[in-house]
Amino acid sequence: MLSVFEESAGYRSVLSLERLPDPQRTHVMWATSKDFGMSGLRFGTLYTENQDVATAVASLCRYHGLSGLVQYQMAQLLRDRDWINQVYLPENHARLKAAHTYVSEELRALGIPFLSRGAGFFIWVDLRKECEKEAVCVIMCASVKYNIRGPALIPRMKTKHRIYYITLFSIVLLGLIATGMFQFWPHSIESSNDWNVEKRSVRDVPVVRLPADSPIPERGDLSCRMHTCFDVYRCGFNPKNKIKVYIYALKKYVDDFGVPVSNTISREYNELLTAISDSDYYTDDINRACLFVPSIDVLNQNTLRIKETAQALAQLSRWDRGTNHLLFNMLPGGPPDYNTALDVPRDRALLAGGGFSTWTYRQGYDVSIPVYSPLSAEVDLPEKGPGPRRYFLISSQVGLHPEYREDLEALQVKHGESVLVLDKCTNLSEGGLSIRKRCHKHQVFDYPQVLQEATFCVVLRGARLGQAILSDVLQAGCVPVVIADSYILPFSEVLDWKRASVVVPEEKMSDVYSILQSIPQRQIEEMQRQARWFWEAYFQSIKAIALATLQIINDRIYPYAAISYEEWNDPPAVKWGSVSNPLFLPLIPPQSQGFTAIVLTYDRVESLFRVITEVSKVPSLSKLLVVWNNQNKNPPEDSLWPKIRVPLKVVRTAENKLSNRFFPYDEIETEAVLAIDDDIIMLTSDELQFGYEVWREFPDRLVGYPGRLHLWDHEMNKWKYESEWTNEVSMVLTGAAFYHKYFNYLYTYKMPGDIKNWVDAHMNCEDIAMNFLVANVTGKAVIKVTPRKKFKCPECTAIDGLSLDQTHMVERSECINKFASVFGTMPLKVVEHRADPVLYKDDFPEKLKSFPNIGSL
Amino acid sequence: MQSWRRRKSLWLALSASWLLLVLLGGFSLLRLALPPRPRPGAPQGWPRWLDAELLQSFSQAGELPEDAASPQAPHGGSCNWGACFDTSKCRGDGLKVFVYPASGPISETHHRILASIEGSRFHTFSPAGACLLLLLSLDAQTGECSSMPLQWNRGRNHLVLRLHPAPCPKTFQLGQAMVAEASPTVDSFRPGFDVALPFLPEAHPLRGGAPGQLQQHSPQPGIALLALEEERGGWRTADTGSSACPWDARCEQDSGPGQTQRGETLPNATFCLISGHRPEAASRFLQALQVLAALQEMSPARVLALRQQTQFLWDAYFSSVEKVIHTTLEVIQDRIFGTSAHPSLLWNSPPGALLALSTFSTSPQDFPFYHLQQGSRPEGRFSALIWVGPPGQPPLKLIQAVAGSQHCAQILVLWSNERPLPSSWPETAMPLTVIDGHRKVSDRFFPYSTIRTDAILSLDARSSLSTSEVDFAFVVWQSFPERMVGFLTSSHFWDEAHGGWGYTAERTNEFSMVLTTAAFYHRYYHTLFTHSLPKALRTLADEAPTCVDVLMNFLVAAVTKRPPIKVPYGKQRQEAAPLASGGPGPRPKPQAPAPNCVNQIAAAFGHMPLLSSRLRLDPVLFKDPVSVQRKKYRSLEKP
Repeated sequence: MLSVFEESAGYRSVLSLERLPDPQRTHVMWATSKDFGMSGLRFGTLYTENQDVATAVASLCRYHGLSGLVQYQMAQLLRDRDWINQVYLPENHARLKAAHTYVSEELRALGIPFLSRGAGFFIWVDLRKECEKEAVCVIMCASVKYNIRGPALIPRMKTKHRIYYITLFSIVLLGLIATGMFQFWPHSIESSNDWNVEKRSVRDVPVVRLPADSPIPERGDLSCRMHTCFDVYRCGFNPKNKIKVYIYALKKYVDDFGVPVSNTISREYNELLTAISDSDYYTDDINRACLFVPSIDVLNQNTLRIKETAQALAQLSRWDRGTNHLLFNMLPGGPPDYNTALDVPRDRALLAGGGFSTWTYRQGYDVSIPVYSPLSAEVDLPEKGPGPRRYFLISSQVGLHPEYREDLEALQVKHGESVLVLDKCTNLSEGGLSIRKRCHKHQVFDYPQVLQEATFCVVLRGARLGQAILSDVLQAGCVPVVIADSYILPFSEVLDWKRASVVVPEEKMSDVYSILQSIPQRQIEEMQRQARWFWEAYFQSIKAIALATLQIINDRIYPYAAISYEEWNDPPAVKWGSVSNPLFLPLIPPQSQGFTAIVLTYDRVESLFRVITEVSKVPSLSKLLVVWNNQNKNPPEDSLWPKIRVPLKVVRTAENKLSNRFFPYDEIETEAVLAIDDDIIMLTSDELQFGYEVWREFPDRLVGYPGRLHLWDHEMNKWKYESEWTNEVSMVLTGAAFYHKYFNYLYTYKMPGDIKNWVDAHMNCEDIAMNFLVANVTGKAVIKVTPRKKFKCPECTAIDGLSLDQTHMVERSECINKFASVFGTMPLKVVEHRADPVLYKDDFPEKLKSFPNIGSL
Repeated sequence: MQSWRRRKSLWLALSASWLLLVLLGGFSLLRLALPPRPRPGAPQGWPRWLDAELLQSFSQAGELPEDAASPQAPHGGSCNWGACFDTSKCRGDGLKVFVYPASGPISETHHRILASIEGSRFHTFSPAGACLLLLLSLDAQTGECSSMPLQWNRGRNHLVLRLHPAPCPKTFQLGQAMVAEASPTVDSFRPGFDVALPFLPEAHPLRGGAPGQLQQHSPQPGIALLALEEERGGWRTADTGSSACPWDARCEQDSGPGQTQRGETLPNATFCLISGHRPEAASRFLQALQVLAALQEMSPARVLALRQQTQFLWDAYFSSVEKVIHTTLEVIQDRIFGTSAHPSLLWNSPPGALLALSTFSTSPQDFPFYHLQQGSRPEGRFSALIWVGPPGQPPLKLIQAVAGSQHCAQILVLWSNERPLPSSWPETAMPLTVIDGHRKVSDRFFPYSTIRTDAILSLDARSSLSTSEVDFAFVVWQSFPERMVGFLTSSHFWDEAHGGWGYTAERTNEFSMVLTTAAFYHRYYHTLFTHSLPKALRTLADEAPTCVDVLMNFLVAAVTKRPPIKVPYGKQRQEAAPLASGGPGPRPKPQAPAPNCVNQIAAAFGHMPLLSSRLRLDPVLFKDPVSVQRKKYRSLEKP
């Protein structure tokens, strides 16, 4: 069902279920007329296990074998997944959605009850009030562009019969679709639909009585690691590399006397479980789960009874000493000693805790999470650009230990205005707002807004190590100065806190100012940006915290699919602007390897043979591959081919497509590839050999002969293709060009958008596409070698004439504009140099030069 | 009649199909009107509670802000950086390391370690001035156990380097000392405090070290996908043949040909599974996790990236004893530096943290290596640095030519001869700074704080360049900010007759060095030259001034692993080209530096980093038979 346009409604095919819910009553129908608006091609399928339905349908002659033509067309259509996924479906969904919105609004305005589904192009309408005679009317809402053109392909017959059949078929079809849909539709929408998700009160949840003597788990095992206490076998190999998380149903736990063990659930924990349940990690199948999240809320240790909570954990159905169980806790410990990890005995359970210290944190097992600040949701602090701010250092925590406060105030005395130490306000009349106010002497400041006025903000240890103020500070884009010895910063397993914070040992508190002053301004600005980005990505909501925690655990279980350092840490602006060259290691490929020449040809056999003969003279050639792009003609017999000193292979293609030249054929064994057209006979052996040697020095670039340029046309406000002899180049023609074979893989499998199909459809611009691709992925310019300006081809003046043709230039310009829009940027780099042999045109004996035969334009 | 029949058939069709519709669909439609029942087995999700809005927050009002805490003394038992290391001792010169002298006979590895520390910029001979005291725990072979050293002080600011796992019964408590050892156990390792080392085999070279064996950027050159480490250092390979391989006997190759012995080359596989101390557990592990299948799923792009990264890490941090030891010290120095430590990018991408000094900058875009990753570009201006050695003629023409460049930001003159400074300098729009005083030749590459641009054009007073040449060379440099871009070149070659490296400044078809008397390069190389090269090498350059060129070229080549770049130079054909005079100094003829120089430097580097190039970068229309009016750098072609 490709017409599910509601993004929130994940579509799950009924056929992907392990077994059909009710095989006798589940029928799956699918036809192209709905999903592709192609009612002209009568192509559809019916899957049913119900023999009666099958017989009934068979007798209607509705389903029968299809012509080969139709089958072929359908195969071609369905095979083109890139186009379907990236072009067709988004457009189709957008249109369906628009049409659906329009119709449903109209219906709403008319007061007609209807069933709103995020899929298909039908709307079920209850017209019982409107239509007096019929029980139900069906309105078919064909979306904007799709016309049902059924009659066109139905075999010619007498008019009366035609109308008879058309009417009969369309109505029967509607009926069948209706049946099919009702049988399987509820599965796809139940999770997100108001109709089916229960709306209940938390007060109505089942009560579980915990006998006083029910078992208590062991205390947490400090030596636990993923390989000792976690059962990875439960997660198994998973094609999506995603762990499956199960959430226990909510219960209310009471002791023998009926006294509750804890508050049933807090707002935040409910949000957290909702976030998990809405995520890709969630499963409702306890047998498939690899991670279990109890619904017992232990976010705040102070709100629960420790022993009884532990008993509640122990009686969970899959508890098994806490293996693969995940607990979330933000406020651990309690007076007087405030332990830094949850005191509830939890045996082997993983703990996602706020405020771990190095003594309690089990490296690589527990997850250190932030203490959520409710202000994140309450206060909207717009991002403030980096740069110097009014105060250099601010301390806004209340209830600091007097010793710390003394130290801070000493700093304020020493450095005057640039340091601000705030405390709670004593003289405010209304106490309710005091959380949002801070005072210095008699001056009142708004909290957390005041944090935006400071470059650095102190985050000191309180009774607990983890402080919600860290979140406020990051939100304000203030660089946190963390003074809390042994504190494990949130998500420190993946986040690089050096980039966003300054950690100062408590002992060094009096030196804080000078430590901070030694940081260069540029680094401070980086930190400010980074701080804000951390908040946006990982602190700002309970959902962000929950998903980051699960991602970390997921990364441990599927390390080979783990998210990279850059993905965790680089702000979007950096991710967007940066390039990670896939060939980043500075290697110089050994010359002995040589290169593989790939000649794309259609039927110019004579010219092809000349190219083969010429190229075979190049010393470093190690293999020649002819890509035979003509399906109507066989390549010449073996005996007719030129005899050359290297292996020659002919690959036949299934279709005459330009992109065949950039296919990563298994036959290519060398790193270097020379793509060469079957009419490029003018390049000398010296030129080709020199080109290969230049490529060895720049193996991550396109190395070619004639250069071309893209220019911005200010009048037309778009890009223009330039083939004049300019002082600059940004592209090389791939009529003859060296490049790394990895780019063939990228061209074939990773080309963004529909560029590949576009090139094949237009039979042009494959070289521009390759230039875009390489420049985009490496961030580097092409290398033009030798003075050559064009490929002059004596026998094919017509072709050459065409390339000079104005329409050709316009088309090439169109390509540049099209590709720039698909890439979302202009990746091509302009340079003013070309590569020549060291002694080129120098006053030096020609016979001593390595590459004397270079120089023709 | 006709119309009646048509209507009749239509009527018939309609009623028949309505009947069908009601039969098939009507029942289902009835359910629309009924309230839905939750279906057993259907995904339920976490319920949307009716009273979700009414739930209380987990932190009740009044709890945050919370009670005050008193400052805590460090816990005993275990150490972390803040508690057990006293950085106040390191404040002056950064990390200074004192090594306890060995008592008794020492092994070869031990010897190499000592040599690598003594050769580093961290070393000091005075225990009092050191901020880190390094104790090499004795080898197990000698059977002796070290006694507690003099300045032990409960191990504070000590690093105990253990080459073999705990050979001795604990003669003294490690206390607050950091431990650097290979394969530490999770239980005793203190993250952020101790240092984990790679295992150093006896034969590991002191410096240089073999480069990685990866010769091509290719995702899967290996025949086998996975090789398993077995006992006694053998390897067993697993084939990629069957993708749905359940990892039983069928999936493994015959143990005969698939096995290799220790000392032989590693198996030709894409992945190697190293199972630590329990090789026998590996196959069970595989069976359960289906690693093979997962690895096959891995995209070629990722495999390619991983393969290159292994080679980079090997080459930057592992390939020699010196690198391992310097990396250890660099890690500790980063802890001391705190905020001015290496950013992660500097550790994890070429050329690596040992060659990207955080004392230069902590912003990656200040270095020449990370512009791509940072999405930044080098600055659009350069500083000309003109060395005026004896006889001391003010380079007036040169100054004017350089100042004429639109990219020039400032000119610095290093006046280094006996003659007094001339009273007047040519009138230019460029800020001109003269730094006076007799200097050593290596001072040409001192990181003067007055240099404010990324690019430096290093010149000798006797160099002769045109503005066009400067402009074009600088534009080329902007495309290759990590390399040296020069006008005149020289080459090294292996001299079979003398069994050593030779040097030639003759014009040949290839080159491996550019002369620094006229070359563009990044200002960072001044810092690297002055602060990371061993002092002995800089002394060598001072004593044989022509060596300074070679040394700078070695340095840049070792960092970039790329040859330098040559751009066209108009006066090439003039006899005794003034540029070719090598380094500054009174010499009658252009001459090659002593061949010893190349050999000495190569020995100190431990390998030959220089690479040859066969190309020159020219302007796109260089010497093309087209109108000069079209050419941007037309004066480059004037004879």
